[in-house]
Amino acid sequence: MSGQIRNVLETAQKAIESVSSQEQLEKIYIDFFGKKGKFTSLAKSIKQTPQKEKAAFGKELNRIKEQITVSFTKQKELLLSKDAEKTIDITAPGKKTAIGHLHLVSQAIEEIVDIFKKIGFSLQSYPEVDWDWYSFESLNMPKDHPARDEWETFFVKSKPDNLLGSQVLTPHTSNGQVREMQRVKKPPVRMLNISRCYRRQVDVSHTPMFHQFEGMLIDQNVSIPNLKGTLDYFAECFFGKQRKTRLRPHHFRFTEPSFEVDVTCGVCLGKGCRFCKSGWVELGGAGMVHPNVITAGKLDPKKYSGFAFGWGIERTIAMRTEIGDIRLLFQNDIRFLEQF
Amino acid sequence: MNIKIPVSWIRDYLKTDIAAKTLANALSSSGPSVEKIEKVKEDYVFEIEVTSNRTDSASVFGLAREANVILSNLGEKSHLVNPKGIDLVLEPDTADLLNLDVIIKDPKLCPRFTAIVVGNIKIKPSPAVIQNRLMLSGIRPINNIVDITNYIMLELGQPMHAFDYDKIKGGKMTLRASVEGEKIVTLDKKTRKLPKGSIVIDDSARLIDLCGIMGGANSQISKRTQRVVLFVQAYDPKTIRKTTQSLAFRTEAASRFEKGVDLDGIPNALSHAVYLAKTNANAKIASELIDIYKNKPKTPTITLNIKKLNNYLGEEIHPNLALKILSLLGFEAKLQNESILATPASWRIDDVKDDVDLIEEIARIYGYQNLKSEIPKGKIPISAKNPLEEVIELKKALKFLGLTEVVTYSIISKKMIDLTNPKKDEVVELQNPLTENWHTMRPSLLPSLATVIEQNQYLKEDLKIFEIAKTYIRAGDGLPKQDLMLALAISSSDFFEVKGYLENVAKILKREVRLKPISKKDPLFGKNQSADVFVDNQQVGTAGILDSKIADFFNIKNAVAAMEINLSLLYSLAASVKTYKPIPKYPPVIEDISAIFSMKTPIEDITQTVKKTGAPLVKNVEVIDIFQDAKLGADKKSVTMHLTYQKPDRTPTQEEVAETRNKINNVLEKSLLAQIRK
Repeated sequence: MSGQIRNVLETAQKAIESVSSQEQLEKIYIDFFGKKGKFTSLAKSIKQTPQKEKAAFGKELNRIKEQITVSFTKQKELLLSKDAEKTIDITAPGKKTAIGHLHLVSQAIEEIVDIFKKIGFSLQSYPEVDWDWYSFESLNMPKDHPARDEWETFFVKSKPDNLLGSQVLTPHTSNGQVREMQRVKKPPVRMLNISRCYRRQVDVSHTPMFHQFEGMLIDQNVSIPNLKGTLDYFAECFFGKQRKTRLRPHHFRFTEPSFEVDVTCGVCLGKGCRFCKSGWVELGGAGMVHPNVITAGKLDPKKYSGFAFGWGIERTIAMRTEIGDIRLLFQNDIRFLEQF
Repeated sequence: MNIKIPVSWIRDYLKTDIAAKTLANALSSSGPSVEKIEKVKEDYVFEIEVTSNRTDSASVFGLAREANVILSNLGEKSHLVNPKGIDLVLEPDTADLLNLDVIIKDPKLCPRFTAIVVGNIKIKPSPAVIQNRLMLSGIRPINNIVDITNYIMLELGQPMHAFDYDKIKGGKMTLRASVEGEKIVTLDKKTRKLPKGSIVIDDSARLIDLCGIMGGANSQISKRTQRVVLFVQAYDPKTIRKTTQSLAFRTEAASRFEKGVDLDGIPNALSHAVYLAKTNANAKIASELIDIYKNKPKTPTITLNIKKLNNYLGEEIHPNLALKILSLLGFEAKLQNESILATPASWRIDDVKDDVDLIEEIARIYGYQNLKSEIPKGKIPISAKNPLEEVIELKKALKFLGLTEVVTYSIISKKMIDLTNPKKDEVVELQNPLTENWHTMRPSLLPSLATVIEQNQYLKEDLKIFEIAKTYIRAGDGLPKQDLMLALAISSSDFFEVKGYLENVAKILKREVRLKPISKKDPLFGKNQSADVFVDNQQVGTAGILDSKIADFFNIKNAVAAMEINLSLLYSLAASVKTYKPIPKYPPVIEDISAIFSMKTPIEDITQTVKKTGAPLVKNVEVIDIFQDAKLGADKKSVTMHLTYQKPDRTPTQEEVAETRNKINNVLEKSLLAQIRK
């Protein structure tokens, strides 16, 4: 009997020592401990063992089981350390899952939303095909006002509404101003509106469709310094720590005073260089919301004031990535899209 | 409106020592913006953007006036000098007076009309200074009289005209609205058919002027001209604008009249013109001055509360400083009970109307750069999360699933619209499209994605792209339905790849989607390999292989798998809420069942049957293999499923599992005519 036991132990130990892979080792384990394994059969023979030898046999079985198990563990560790010692070329490509790309416009939108979210502005959305009233008339631009010429507006074939006028493709995100006041009804209002806008023009710096973002804040006692603070905060977050903004006089019918917003040039930081000429780069428009617009939004301009600002997403992208021709953004060449 | 002005010309009226660049900076930061500075010999030429409300500063003198205020406030030495001759008294130089009869039919069309006849003219080129200045400003010099009209417009911002007196038949001018069908040949030799209601002048026989826009060719100054009517007016801005829009013809004069001119400045412009005619063409005044100015507009007084001013500025400004700024700008201003009362100068009447207009005047001269910069302190409004914020997250998730985002135009061509086979009353068509390619607002994103695949198919074999954007479907006379859609397209692909993405998207959006056989053929998808996508009982989209007609249209060589999902609708349906289920304490029994089914039996029917029959012991059914083989028979498939048997309180016994397995096998055999593989 003990001969059989020793035989199993020796075969097992020899087999274990001879293997060179984890798979082979697993196989050997099954060979011995599986349902019909060599050790299992041996263990089963205990039934035929005379009663008085049973105890010794059992003890012996346990002993060799332990020894085989120890050999297994040793060999397993040896194999593992051998794997880890193999030299590999760490510069060969990794095993990876394919990752796609977000469009530059979406990347900018995400960043802008994050920046303004932190100071309480929330993203809202309004129609892109909207009434003339929201796009112009409620913004202090009566019909036939020359100021409307600044927008090359697309009109939609449709029956004009008696009160709201024709349907247009919004040429700016400002159609959201009065809509937001009507939605909120009771200030404070801190709105961010990002949308596709449309104008009838196409050249290196214009596409008939583009994206604009617009912020508006309505509250009591809102000041020009509040607007300056908000713009400076944005410029620092979006363009970098040392960047500053400035306001210059401008004219929009829906704000008074109205401003043009410049940001210090990223190359010379305001000293003046060949990229910017005077140290500043034009960013967009802003102003204190005109009392007539607040009235159109059914709020009391004696009680509330506010500011609004906005500019093209594509413009900010062009400023950061040095894309000369904005039309590239919408040509969707995969070689372009995969760069970002 | 951009104008080009040589700095030397400005210096005729703005007496200051400061350098051109400093002047440009001062103007830009508190007034009209100097966009470009060009050095021409010893001089600089400013290109200046003047906003539409400030035509008063769209002139040499207007800019000098504006600059003088800004510089004075900065403490720079400067003062303003009037152009020579603007106070010239217009009295006849000769005893034989020429006659000019003027009739104005409707004073509303022409708030102020001035004219005077000058004789003894010798037509010749203008002096070099005038020619030079005109050229630097972008105007071609013609002769000494015509040049005066352009020179006055640039110098004072007041457009004017000169007629050959001897070509005005009967010495008579009638200013009136045109009637239906009238025509005039303008100075540029073009015949213009006038819209009814345009402002015109006829002499006793014919039209001689399209007022405010361009003179008539029949009364123009020629080399032989000896006597001239110098002519300075203001017209009703709206009527001028109507005519220019209707004719699609706009001159610089017209664009100034459209915005309004300074009525009180008109006599100065005429005096200055006469002075120049005398100096440059030996002119002699040969008629009485005609000045018809019936309804002088009232100058409003505007009240600005000091507290409101300080609120806007975010600091307290001394009222005297505010008053000083306003008076430098030509306002009559005084303090009364915590308020400023101000009356604008004649050249600002159209622009300054409300207290906020006064705030702008005070603030810009005070200097925006001098105001503080501080983040608003007020309460932060609480508002519900807008789906657009979720869209940002969704886009990022799609990116990490290996898809690349594209942004295509929402306006598409007529041909692409036709592919979607739209109902006529659902199309959102543009009234004034830019080109045939940008014709109609799209009802689906898929044709645009197909274009992107077409464009890139030879650059990359497996394109995986998506776009999230609105689509537009007309809804009666109201605004079109503008739902946000997600579309994705995969080149050289099959149905199950896109279905996989759909299932991923559903998981990301926490909605459960089901596919159903298409109920009606979608023009964009093939009939055999596409499905309607449902959430609850609502169809939210379609998925499948693009119709071969679409692929052919775009010359796409391999099958495109695609889907389009209405996100606006989907977001409006409730998301599934996750609740905690205890983690099983006892291991399950896992077994496979393989069976042969008819090809026609949907997999979903099979798994549903197994789940229903196996409940509650069977916790999960997963299809791990489907195959077809000639040995199985032509219309047969073999399906292998992985079944998880599990109990909360212990591991199921062999007997329990066997019992359930037999029950399942029986049902599969009976109700789905399966043949169980052993």
